[in-house]
Amino acid sequence: MSTATTSAPVSVEHRPRLVSSELLKVTSTKMWLGMLVGVVIFIAIGIASSIFAPEQPGFAQPRLTTPEGIRNLFANAGGAYLFAIIIGALGMTQELRHQTLTSTLLSEPHRNKVTGAKMAAYFVIGAFYGLIGVIVGYAMAFALLPLKEHTDISVTALWQIAGGAILGSGLFAVLGVAVGTLVRNQIAAILGILVWVLVIEQLVVTFLPKIGKWLPGGALAGVLQTTGANGTTYLPIWGGALVLLGYTALFATVAALTTQRRDVT
Amino acid sequence: MTHAAQLTAGAVASGGSLGQPVEVVGLTKMFGSVLAVDDLSFTVAPGRVTGFLGPNGAGKTTTLRCLLGLVAPTPGSATIGGKRYDQIGTPIRTVGSALEATGFHPGRSAINHLRIVARSGGVDERRADVTLSLVGLTDSAGRSVGGFSLGMRQRLQLAAALLGDPGVLVLDEPANGLDPEGIAWLRSFLRHLAGEGRTVLVSSHVLSEVEQTVDDVVIIARGHLVRACPLTELTEATHGVVVRTPQLAELTAALAAAPGVTVVPQADGSVVVRGADAAAVGRAALTAQVELHELRAATSDLEQVFLSLTGGATS
Repeated sequence: MSTATTSAPVSVEHRPRLVSSELLKVTSTKMWLGMLVGVVIFIAIGIASSIFAPEQPGFAQPRLTTPEGIRNLFANAGGAYLFAIIIGALGMTQELRHQTLTSTLLSEPHRNKVTGAKMAAYFVIGAFYGLIGVIVGYAMAFALLPLKEHTDISVTALWQIAGGAILGSGLFAVLGVAVGTLVRNQIAAILGILVWVLVIEQLVVTFLPKIGKWLPGGALAGVLQTTGANGTTYLPIWGGALVLLGYTALFATVAALTTQRRDVT
Repeated sequence: MTHAAQLTAGAVASGGSLGQPVEVVGLTKMFGSVLAVDDLSFTVAPGRVTGFLGPNGAGKTTTLRCLLGLVAPTPGSATIGGKRYDQIGTPIRTVGSALEATGFHPGRSAINHLRIVARSGGVDERRADVTLSLVGLTDSAGRSVGGFSLGMRQRLQLAAALLGDPGVLVLDEPANGLDPEGIAWLRSFLRHLAGEGRTVLVSSHVLSEVEQTVDDVVIIARGHLVRACPLTELTEATHGVVVRTPQLAELTAALAAAPGVTVVPQADGSVVVRGADAAAVGRAALTAQVELHELRAATSDLEQVFLSLTGGATS
């Protein structure tokens, strides 16, 4: 073996070097695939139960025969956000858990650049989850809908829901990175997110929609244009998107500020 | 296929990377109320291997983390070629470092770990293959690091440090976990890198581990500088002549005539004379008519010198 031929020029400048390094971090372990399987199963269950669940007389959810009901069905395709925020939080807390943060910061000592690159990379991952969710969810919905009495959904609504699902999942992944930066313990971060998203936020959005629509989950409901129990509506699409962007910017700023001078030992 | 042959071609891959001095000036670090490093100053010269020595908890890792921008000094400065770590653009091309408690994702392959570091550090990813072969891990490139032994992890750390073909190497306890063959390999590797003009700073808590590798030593204890000198100065301190005499004052006066001779009284009533051999001491004693009860050359253990300097034997 001649080692002279294996020597390569050392320096190379491909611009988004930090973002592409972060993406390679994600794709070089298996977790993101496991989470993707989770996205597919979660959305499949959401669509199937939304189509086949029996009507509940006391709790007036819109039915498939109404435009609101059919929109709600397709909005299940936006369920990837839950996995997006979790993988974002894992991406950050893993660096601490496996102590890879040291080598990350040795390559790029400017911590804001690292945090920014991680958020950009996880936006891509989250948006990809959103896209896969939309494809799987729409395919299932169109396959199963003929079994039930239903009204048709407009093409505009389909595009809106798809766009909202992809943007929403991307932004939730960024939120996850920020949460992981602030709550550095991996288990605490994941538990906190699950309790917030699946319990607290659900309760507030359902029973106090006037407050709930301003929370991240309520804002996403606005982006996806879902209709809650008893005809509750949330923010308009642009309003929901702005609120989500606002939360993301706020959390990203706080996360960046707190990591700036923290000792890495 | 020998490691020596491998490292020659790979290490000079890009050439042109000249070693730069590492300067630590008045470095102090408090963790809460604990003073980890206290007003520490020393310089590390290019073209030499410098051992950064001290017992566990002396502040070595904290000093290195300050140097590498991971920990903020309070106050003081640590620079490489006159620049703070975060002022060096794409720093891994200038400084290669391997720190203790730098981890690996257990599910990630060795080659991907290096590619990630290379990519974020602005280094050509082909260097990942080159440095992996430099440290003899080519056959394990695709394996998950979770299954690596401590010695393999140390080698992988070293490969990461070499990615940018840096002129300055900062290695924290690189010999930990290496077998004797690995230590011998590391020794020749570091000597070679310094021979190319690079600055090599290696920490260790055992002097004997690096004694055959280093040119200079920087010894610290409890966050303070104890000694910063060429290793030969420490080695000289291990040679002495043990003398026992009832006329110590006369002998000391006689020896004081010769330059560079010191007389150190010992606890057992004898004295150790440094800077003169047994023959010279005997001759001086005869000339001055001093009665001797014992006269013998003695060599103390270098590790013993190290322990007495760092207070490890007493504390």
